[in-house]
Amino acid sequence: MSDRIFSVVWLVFCAAVAWLAWQIEAPFSYEPIGPRAFPLLLAIAMALSCVWLLAKPGREPDWPRGALRGKVILMIAGFLAYAMAFEWLGFPVSTALATLLIGRIFGGGWKGSAIAGVALGGGLWYFFDRILDVTLPLGQLWAGA
Amino acid sequence: MDSLGHLAQGFVVAAKPLNLLVAFLGSFIGTVVGLLPGMGPINGVAILMPIAFAMKLPPETALILLAAVYIGCEYGGRISSILINIPGDAGAIMTALDGYPMAKKGLAGVALSISAWSSFVGSIIATIGLALFAPILARWALAFGPAEYFVLMVFAISCLAGMVGDRPIKTLIAALIGLFLATVGIDAGSGVYRFTFEDVHLADGIQFIVVVIGLFSVSEMLVMLEQSHAGQVVIKHTGRAMFNLKEMAETWWGTIRSSLVGFVVGVLPGAGASIASAITYMVEKNLTDREGSFGKGDIRGVAAPEAANNSAAGGAFIPMLTLGVPGSGTTAVMVGALTLYNITPGPLLFEQQPDLVWGLIASMFIGNVMLLVMNIPMVGLFSRLLYVPNWILVPAIAAISFVGVYAVHATTFDLVLMVGLGIFGWAMRKLDFPMAPMILGFVLGDMMEQNLRRALAISDGHLGILFQSPVTLVLWVLAIVVLVAPWLIRRRRSRA
Repeated sequence: MSDRIFSVVWLVFCAAVAWLAWQIEAPFSYEPIGPRAFPLLLAIAMALSCVWLLAKPGREPDWPRGALRGKVILMIAGFLAYAMAFEWLGFPVSTALATLLIGRIFGGGWKGSAIAGVALGGGLWYFFDRILDVTLPLGQLWAGA
Repeated sequence: MDSLGHLAQGFVVAAKPLNLLVAFLGSFIGTVVGLLPGMGPINGVAILMPIAFAMKLPPETALILLAAVYIGCEYGGRISSILINIPGDAGAIMTALDGYPMAKKGLAGVALSISAWSSFVGSIIATIGLALFAPILARWALAFGPAEYFVLMVFAISCLAGMVGDRPIKTLIAALIGLFLATVGIDAGSGVYRFTFEDVHLADGIQFIVVVIGLFSVSEMLVMLEQSHAGQVVIKHTGRAMFNLKEMAETWWGTIRSSLVGFVVGVLPGAGASIASAITYMVEKNLTDREGSFGKGDIRGVAAPEAANNSAAGGAFIPMLTLGVPGSGTTAVMVGALTLYNITPGPLLFEQQPDLVWGLIASMFIGNVMLLVMNIPMVGLFSRLLYVPNWILVPAIAAISFVGVYAVHATTFDLVLMVGLGIFGWAMRKLDFPMAPMILGFVLGDMMEQNLRRALAISDGHLGILFQSPVTLVLWVLAIVVLVAPWLIRRRRSRA
């Protein structure tokens, strides 16, 4: 069933790609096939493959259920929040919070995860920014104040 | 003879203090990344690549680092296979079959040392092969035109579809998605924007690192969450630390055979270490297992796949360096690394950048000696890392992944896109779509399209050019063979 849902979603996606690709036009071109052909070709190939998959789907995957499903959703939300907060709160603070959350999801205690968060946020910032010279943000929020 | 002179020059490059230091660090990091379940060579190389670039390492040094990490991973993966029965990376899956039973018998030390030794033999054989064959292939590939390149990439994708995963159709879809993702951004041929939605972040395309770290690291952490309830028991009693001469003699020919097979599989575009170790395990089982002891802690079953995954990793460098068509997911990431430095791998690389190529090959010899030392006497140190709990490990992987992506362009957009691709990748993995073909497609996409268009520009739009030269014809035949052969074998087996 999941394979079929994927196929249908992807067929719609292919149609959108084909529609967008059709509108691509090079103002001038020296070659017989322009920028439009390859994406169109891919969209057709993907669509044909999806039709095949629709006809012959594989076995059903083991989607997470119950408490595990909640954890997976929380983890995804956590990743998104971490990505959004990365520049805003800065690397040390956002990493400490992300570590606390992910640590708790993976069964760490409050205290242990909090300590790990502070250590990772501070330690990795120092390691990358100061020692390796990979610039990391300290946070727009604090800079404005 | 020419090669020996170049190799000597390569050793001069590799012996520079910075390059030696980097080879050492790379070997160390590689072993660690390899042994941690959930992190494989692709993540390791992908995360380090932008960091090496941000540190402004010269290209040959960056490549030496990444290669050392790659080879180190193939050493490190066996440690967790043997001690906790969970392969540290995909190449070490077969090692667990006999390695863990050996460890349960109290022979963990022997399993660890013999597999380090066979890893070393495999790696050295592959590096010698690389030094011997790569220059020949590069000279030969100089004659390749755009049509030949296009068909070569078709061949690479059919190799994947034929060999990776149980459902070729899913491998094909994954590769096509990768090819499509590569079309986003400015089209090199005409300067037209494609699929950018007028968004400035997408104008120069989706960043390679974002795709790799999203599809591999982020999705991997979600997979780890699902599997984390299974308890891990580390075997503590490791027994005798070193194999004896009898054990070495017993495994010797199997190691050599597996190294050669692994090397050939590694050279094939698209087929990497995991396939090589699976094939050699089966070969050794059929050839030498008379008592039915494979799978119950047979030392030959530990040595063979480890020799094979290391030599496959070495072999994968050949198509990457000589043709610019990577032989595995990890070398695909390295092609991406070289493009950060505006270096296009291909036949001209050997003429234009001899220091880079031969420095890399020489450093692989040096790195393997370092790895052998790290992996036999110091293996106890590494195995302690298996005690690090996931609630510390996973946040650390997350933070380092985010740093890797942020190091390239320093935008929030890339981070969010990475998480989005990670969720997508996780769903795809749940549905049994392999990820490596997507990466390979993404790396090959631009080259494939540009070569197709160039070929058709030469022939004025006639498709016949794709079938004209002997090279293209041979490649088409090979592409069909690798697609059909596994299917035929499977059919015959299911009938028997």
